[in-house]
Amino acid sequence: MQEALNDTQELKDLQKQKKKMQNRRGKRLFYLIIPFIILVLLFSYYPLFGWVYAFFDYQPPIPLSQSEFVGWKWFAMLIQNKTQMHQIVQVLANTFAMSFLNILTSFLPVLFAIGLNEIRNKHWKNIIQTLTTLPNFISWVLVYSIAFAMFSSSGMVNTLLQNWHWIAEPIKWLDSDSHTWLKMLLWNLWKGLGWGSIMYLAAIAGIDPELYEAGRVDGANRLQLIRHITIPALMPTYFVMLMLAISNFLSNGMDQFFVFQNAFNLTHIQVLDLYVYNVGMGNNSLSLATALSMLKSIVSVVLLYVVNFVSKKTRGESII
Amino acid sequence: MKMKKLALMATTFAAVALALAGCGKSNDSATEKDDGKLMKVTVYDDLANYQGTAKGWFAKMVKDKFNIEMNIVAPNVAGGGSTLFDTRSAAGNLGDIVITGSNDGRAKKLVKAGLISDMTPYMKGMKYLKQYSGATDAFQKVAGVKSGIYGIPASVSSSSPTSSSEGTEPTFGPYIRWDLYKEVGYPEIKTLDDLIPILKEMQTKARAENNDQKIYALSLFKDWDGNMMNNAKQPTTFYGYDELGFVLAKADGSDYQSITQTNGQYVKALRFFNKAKQAGLVDPESSTQNYDTMYSKYTDGKALFSFWPWLGQAAYNTTANKEAGKGFMLAPVQDMKIFSYGNTTNGSSTFIGIGSKAKNKQRLVKFINWLYSPEGVSAAGAQTGGTSGPEGLTWKMDGKQPVLTDFGKKVFLEGGAKVPAKWGTGNYKDGVSQLNYPAVMPNDINPETKYSYSYTLWPSVLKDTKTKLDTDWSSHMDNATTTMDYLKKEKKILVAPGASYVTPEEDSEISSLRGQIKTQIVNTSWKMTMASSDSEFDSLLKKMQSTVDGLGYKKVLKVDMKNAKDQNKARVAIKKEYANKK
Repeated sequence: MQEALNDTQELKDLQKQKKKMQNRRGKRLFYLIIPFIILVLLFSYYPLFGWVYAFFDYQPPIPLSQSEFVGWKWFAMLIQNKTQMHQIVQVLANTFAMSFLNILTSFLPVLFAIGLNEIRNKHWKNIIQTLTTLPNFISWVLVYSIAFAMFSSSGMVNTLLQNWHWIAEPIKWLDSDSHTWLKMLLWNLWKGLGWGSIMYLAAIAGIDPELYEAGRVDGANRLQLIRHITIPALMPTYFVMLMLAISNFLSNGMDQFFVFQNAFNLTHIQVLDLYVYNVGMGNNSLSLATALSMLKSIVSVVLLYVVNFVSKKTRGESII
Repeated sequence: MKMKKLALMATTFAAVALALAGCGKSNDSATEKDDGKLMKVTVYDDLANYQGTAKGWFAKMVKDKFNIEMNIVAPNVAGGGSTLFDTRSAAGNLGDIVITGSNDGRAKKLVKAGLISDMTPYMKGMKYLKQYSGATDAFQKVAGVKSGIYGIPASVSSSSPTSSSEGTEPTFGPYIRWDLYKEVGYPEIKTLDDLIPILKEMQTKARAENNDQKIYALSLFKDWDGNMMNNAKQPTTFYGYDELGFVLAKADGSDYQSITQTNGQYVKALRFFNKAKQAGLVDPESSTQNYDTMYSKYTDGKALFSFWPWLGQAAYNTTANKEAGKGFMLAPVQDMKIFSYGNTTNGSSTFIGIGSKAKNKQRLVKFINWLYSPEGVSAAGAQTGGTSGPEGLTWKMDGKQPVLTDFGKKVFLEGGAKVPAKWGTGNYKDGVSQLNYPAVMPNDINPETKYSYSYTLWPSVLKDTKTKLDTDWSSHMDNATTTMDYLKKEKKILVAPGASYVTPEEDSEISSLRGQIKTQIVNTSWKMTMASSDSEFDSLLKKMQSTVDGLGYKKVLKVDMKNAKDQNKARVAIKKEYANKK
């Protein structure tokens, strides 16, 4: 009896000790991730503190502590009348349209990679790849100066056309509101096509050559090889990239639109990020701009739920 | 265990706090003693058109006198509107010396946020600053304080507020290339719109003569657009109006217009531009170029009309051109009544102050005192103000009156020269005060010479500058000696008494509305200018009116109207005040 009691006591002690050990190990592991938790808190949650500016009447030289608390005033202002609403709708339309166009053309890098892969001459291939990747490393400011040098009313293209007497008045490529979305898309493609195809070139390199050999033995020509081997093999990569693009739906970059904006195309070029910048920095209404930028988070959350819902329905898997 | 955890938490928090604290460091060094060593002074300057360390003869003068090296922070150069002001002031240090406008309660905000400091403790012996105690007293009200000297207004003057503050040329005026006007036979100009066919003829002539299809009568730019398209405001000044927010107010307080008013002066000006555009007179680069690009077009004779003498004349009227009879001169538009700024007894709405974080404040106040001294005013002045420069370099006393030296003539009348080694290096023009700060009105009398600070009014210079162009112009303008002379004789000038009116702090809701509305107005104004037909112009106007109304234009206009009327009250008051003083 006594022995059995001792045994259970010992067992309990042992269990306790084991638990302690586990706890200690757990804690040690926890310490390991602490730096990352701090980083996340610092860079993802701490900035959210900035949202309080949306509830104050903040005017720069005067610190927030002395600013007046105004509650929902700025939010009310955003929806106070039709014209205001119309502007926001236009901005959202621009954002969605340009993101959507980007997603719509996201197959182009795939085609480009396949085409590049089919070039047999190695030097040619390298030259083309370098030339198309290079624009990615040029900042938008420089891209705009190139655009300005070429397409402004006294730029290269207009001067040439005028000298050849094809046109009498210079064509306004930059300072007009015709096809703004399309023009922006083209610039974006010119800049990103080569870079975007790098991922797919890597994926193509990873395809088992035996598949091609087998295909050839079966009498497939080059087009058939592409159609039945390369493209299916690229699809997983493509879908991952597509998902990433969709998650960036609202942040379609503001620097491109910032440099290209002017009095004439502002209506169709102003995306959400640019609008927030113009209101906050350009018009000096930081509190209103903060309220506006919160809109972005709300739209993002809604988008996330929509995508999640679609994913659940179609694939039976959900992200959250 | 617990202790360890606590310690860890504590260190983590400390690390985060440190990381964040690194962003804004504070140093309080007001009581430090001045060691007289070279001092780098950051000047936040809303007027400057130059950014970086000041260079040239003026910078050398300041360095020799005060051992100060100026690093100028210029929002005009940096661009982005008030972004620079906002970010710098939010960081708690605007600059060691601050030159900015006090409108929209900005001076009040700066004092409230503790960004500029009281100069009273450093005022002992500052006799030039004390001379303008009226202006500094008036500034107390602007800054919302009961006592103390937080800033000294710019452009102070001892002359009558009802007389024009401009020298020989007004600030605004329709200036045309007189040589071409002569070639087309001095046609009569009843009203501004009559200029369009005349300019068209002049443009054709100029293009044929120079074999250059890129000569345009009008070349515009967008850099200075604010509440409205800046260029479109200029023709309204020819009829006595000036802007205040969205209001155009007549100098004598007899009329106030909203700029979106269908038949108002502003829309009229836009229609003038558009008519010119439809006649092929507007440079297609107008909407994309900046001031510098446009200025060089004037220098090259590729633009034929100027809103301002300090653009057209400064760029093109070199002595060589004038001797050849070429140059910009005032057009005799018969119905014009040009707006003119009266002398601002108590200074303009721009002021100079000292940042609260500045070191060696005594030395900085001494420097500012010097800027208000006869020597400082002559040397500094604004870049386009025409002050005479330092004595001994550009001018000297010849008996009882000042005359330009040979070097001065080269610099002011013949397009520039390199300064002698004693005064530094580089061109005289590049070395003028990059602060661009007019402490005292250039027309005021220099107590040491008994003549004005501005050389353009000296009898010796007026006599010297008669060229073929001047005589031809004069013979067609009732033998007037200068533009001002003509305008006064013909009663074509309307002086707005020089009140130091400052717009009060604006409710931030109004500012937000204003921000959105002005974007609409400015952008649509450019579209209207470039419209290809009258019907497009009208439909753009209608659209703009309905959009801005929807955005709350009426609310903002009410504020501006009140300000414009208050400004007029201040003008009436200063007239009385000056009359009583006499």
